[in-house]
Formats: sequence, C-alpha cells, structure tokens
Amino acid sequence: MATNTEQIPDSSRHPLRVTWDVWSAMYLREMIARTMADRMAWFWMIFEPIATVAVMIFIRVYIRGGRNISGAEFIPWMIVGLMGFYLFREAMIRPMGAVEANRGLFTYRQILPIDPVLIRCFVEGMIRSFILLLFIIVGSLLKIDLMPDHALGVMMDWLSLWMLGIGLGVLLSVASGLVSEVGRVVRILTMPLLLISGIIFPVTYVPAQYQQYLLWNPIVHGVESMRLSFFDSYHTIPGIDMTYLWFWALASLTLGLVMHVRFAPRLKAR
Amino acid sequence: MIEIHNLYKRYHGPHGGGWVLKDINLTIPDGISVGVVGRNGAGKSTLLRLIGGMDAPDRGKVIRKGRVSWPIGLAGGFKGSMTGRQNVKFVARVHGIKKSLTKLIQEVQDFAEIGEAFDDPVNTYSSGMRSRLAFGLSLAFDFDIYISDEATAVGDRAFKAKAREAFQKRIGRASLIMVSHGEASLRQMCEAGILINEGKAFWYDKIEDAIEAYHRQSGLITDVADEDDESEDEGVLLAEGASFEDAVKSLKKQMTKIQKQKIIAEYRQSIASEEDEIERIKAERHSLNRLHRAVKKKLQNLKAIEKNISA
Repeated sequence: MATNTEQIPDSSRHPLRVTWDVWSAMYLREMIARTMADRMAWFWMIFEPIATVAVMIFIRVYIRGGRNISGAEFIPWMIVGLMGFYLFREAMIRPMGAVEANRGLFTYRQILPIDPVLIRCFVEGMIRSFILLLFIIVGSLLKIDLMPDHALGVMMDWLSLWMLGIGLGVLLSVASGLVSEVGRVVRILTMPLLLISGIIFPVTYVPAQYQQYLLWNPIVHGVESMRLSFFDSYHTIPGIDMTYLWFWALASLTLGLVMHVRFAPRLKAR
Repeated sequence: MIEIHNLYKRYHGPHGGGWVLKDINLTIPDGISVGVVGRNGAGKSTLLRLIGGMDAPDRGKVIRKGRVSWPIGLAGGFKGSMTGRQNVKFVARVHGIKKSLTKLIQEVQDFAEIGEAFDDPVNTYSSGMRSRLAFGLSLAFDFDIYISDEATAVGDRAFKAKAREAFQKRIGRASLIMVSHGEASLRQMCEAGILINEGKAFWYDKIEDAIEAYHRQSGLITDVADEDDESEDEGVLLAEGASFEDAVKSLKKQMTKIQKQKIIAEYRQSIASEEDEIERIKAERHSLNRLHRAVKKKLQNLKAIEKNISA
C-alpha cells in the first residue's frame, strides 16, 4: 500500500503554507463540529443567539420601563447593542477552552496552540456576522427598522468589536491555559460587563460626572459607535473614540501573541 | 537523519523536576531502525516525543532531516463526534495532501478493516477499532522516519501481524524509532539500539547489545516483559502423583510468569492514554495481584508441609 501514496510535501512546504493547511483543515473541522455535533446542532447554532436576544428584550420591555432612547427606536437599539456585545463576548470566551479541547491535536507537530484559538475566534465571528445579517433581513421584513444608515461604518465598528474580542481572547487563552482560575473569573465578570457597557440601559442615563469612568471600558466605545452608525439621529455621551478601542484590541492581541510564542511548549505539554 | 545536540529536558511536577534527560548527543542515521530501551520512567517516551517534535527541549536542539511521523497508532487526535472518515480527512489536510485525498482515504479504509463503522462517529468505536484506524492512518502517509511507542501492540493478533508486516515492507525505504518492552519485537524490527539510563543515552550498533546492557543495568538476567508470550497459560492444578519438587518448581515458574505479567501491565498502564483502557488495565492488574497472592500462599503451604515432613 505504501508505493502509490502521495509524497507528503512536508520538507518542501513553506512554513506559511503549513500554517495555511493547518488553518483550512481546522476551520473545516471546527465548522463540522459546530454544525453536526448532534442532529440539531446547526439549528441551535443559529437559534440560540436569536433566543438570547429575544429573552433579553422581553425582560427589558416587560419587567422594566424606561424605553426612551434619544434618536433611536428601542428594539433595534437593543438588538444592535446585544449583537455587538455578544460578538465581543463569544470571541473572548470561546478561545479560552480551545487549547484544552484540542490537546490531542498537538500530536501533530504542525499544529500549535495558537491555531485552534484563532480558528475559534474566526468561526465565532463568522457565525455572529451571519446572524446579524439574518436579524437585519428578518427585521426589515417585519418592519423593524434595522437597516443601517451608514453600512460601512457599521462594518468597521463590527470589525472593531470583533478585533477587541479576538485580542482579549488570544490573551486569555494563554492565561487560562497557564492558570485555570482565570477562565472562571472572566466568565463571572462578563455578566456585570453587560450592565456597565450600556447594552441594556443607555449610557446617557448615567449622571454626567460618572460618564468619564464608563469610557474606560472599550466595549462602550465600540457599541455606542456602532449604534451611531446604525441610527443617524442617535445621541450618546461625548467622548466616544474608536482609537481607544483599537488601542485595547491591538495591545491585548500583541501581548497575547507574544505570550503564545513564549508559552507554546508549556501549553502543549499539559 | 536525526541529530540531537546537547539536549536537556525536565518536567515541572508538584515535587519539582529533576532532569529527565541530561546532555544527550545522538545521531540517528538514515535507513536504520532503532529500538529504545530503558526501565519505566527513564525517559524513553520523552525522547521519542522530542524527536517527533511534540515537545520542546529545555536546552539543546533536535534537527530533523526528512519527514518524521507522529507516534504511530496514537488515537489522541481523533474528535469523537466526527466520523472516522472526517478525522482521516482532517489529518490529511493538515499534512497538505489535496490531490490524492480520496486515494489516501481508501487506503486507510482498506487497512483498518472496520467496514461500515468508518462512517460512524469515532466515539462509538471500541478501543481496538480506534487503534486500527489510527494505525492505518499513520501507515497511509509516506514518512522517512516513523516513530512508535509500543505501536505494534495494538489490535487483535491478526491485525498485529498485518501491522508488523506492513512495517517490515517499509523498512529499507523508511526507518523506525521504537520504544518497546517487547524484546522479541525489538529484535525483529530494529538493528541498532539506544539505552536510556539515568538521563543519559547510550548508542549501540546492535540491538542485541542494547538489550543485554539493559539487562545488566537492571539486574535482570531473564528475558522479561515480552508481550508476545503472555497469552500462554499453564494450568494451576498439579497432576496427581507429581513429585514434591516438581510441584514447587511449577509453582515457582508460575510466580515468575505472574511477576512478568505484572510488570507488563504496569508499563501498559503508564503509557495508556484512554480512561477506559486504564480502567481495564487496572482491573487486570488487580486480578494479577490476587493470583500472585494465591500462588504465593500455595507455595508457602507446600514449604510448611515440607518442613513438617523433614522435622
């Protein structure tokens, strides 16, 4: 059986080529795992985020009043905020389990701990983007005004939130790989993050003298900027600056990648 | 060819870590199959992992010239929710195979002989089926150097023979670096040997010398721990009218046999990766221990009787 096999192009493959092969294989694998893990997996993949958003809106509408958002309708405002936040959150949380879940794959020396992390970030972003499009299309059919006023701006803000999630995700994947408690703490922290990022309650409700502290949180910048691009007449607090968000995103991504280079053997060896 | 220069490796455990491997310098030439011997925990598997590039040395380096496989028959990389076919495709893609993907899948399928189960999720497989698939997968690629950690021990007898044959067909074009306690298979597959003792590696041009040095170092003169002769079992009952000395002799023989099996089981447990496999081996070791105690008791009884008679 050995005679007619293809020569493995291992020795002649360029390192970038190896990386590309690994990424494409892992992308397909991750997609298959996400969509075909059990017979309804693909359905839940789409329905679960929709249901979460619906439940959040339901709680917000019927349990608490105060739905006056200056310059935007309440439900679209809420959907945009939640979708942006979940994109960030999933891109940050998902990679944390990636190294552990793919431990068996490090048998193949071509695969490094960073590969499953990046692939998960990418897959998560793709799924979320698909769902956002689904929301916009279905919303338009239901006469909910979800058409962005500045489509390019929305895409840029969406990308920024995604990058912020990836940056922190890459960093936290190393941190939680080395110290497993980090994962738990981060998971606990995401719930209050939903509240202080102005997702459910508008940031404009916060007294003016405290607003500057809210602006320390990069998610606020991303989410508010995306709402500004969605709704032309929307008003938010002053001081929204995407450079600040990108500073966070690139700084954490750089630190995360450096730590991956430094700790790759230890992440593999566990 | 594999060159190892000034290689150091240690692991940081809860009790600190001594050096597992200290200042190893080796050159493994092309086309020569090498067996690695040493007692449990000497660092054989660690050396193999370092050669395979699954682990990074703390100091020194490993230079691989040629394509080196992952440890043959390792099923760790399979995703349980995916089918055998999907798993095979994944590994092929990682190794950059595109054009002959279907051919490769066909080869794995033919070799593994697991039939329809090839399209079932891997977590429905038995451990034997898993290792068949893993072994077929390793052999479908054309590596220059295969590394193997007790690989030929997977599967049932017929499959073992087939795997061994497939291996031997490759020797000549490809070489093999194997870690094994089965001395028969080491003698059969390898020409040269490496003995690992107290963090040092010693090269022997003949595997026979390596095994002999290993015996001398461990103080065992008998040919222990060959997994190939574990299946022959002698009856515990003695024939009627057998002489006293014969009875003692046969009991002693049984003792050494059980002792051997215990060593093998212990080793297998130390290299086993799947939980159910470890459970199985644990149960096996438990029953071996019981058998050991039973035989020991019998022997003591016989000795007591002997004393009574002589007194």
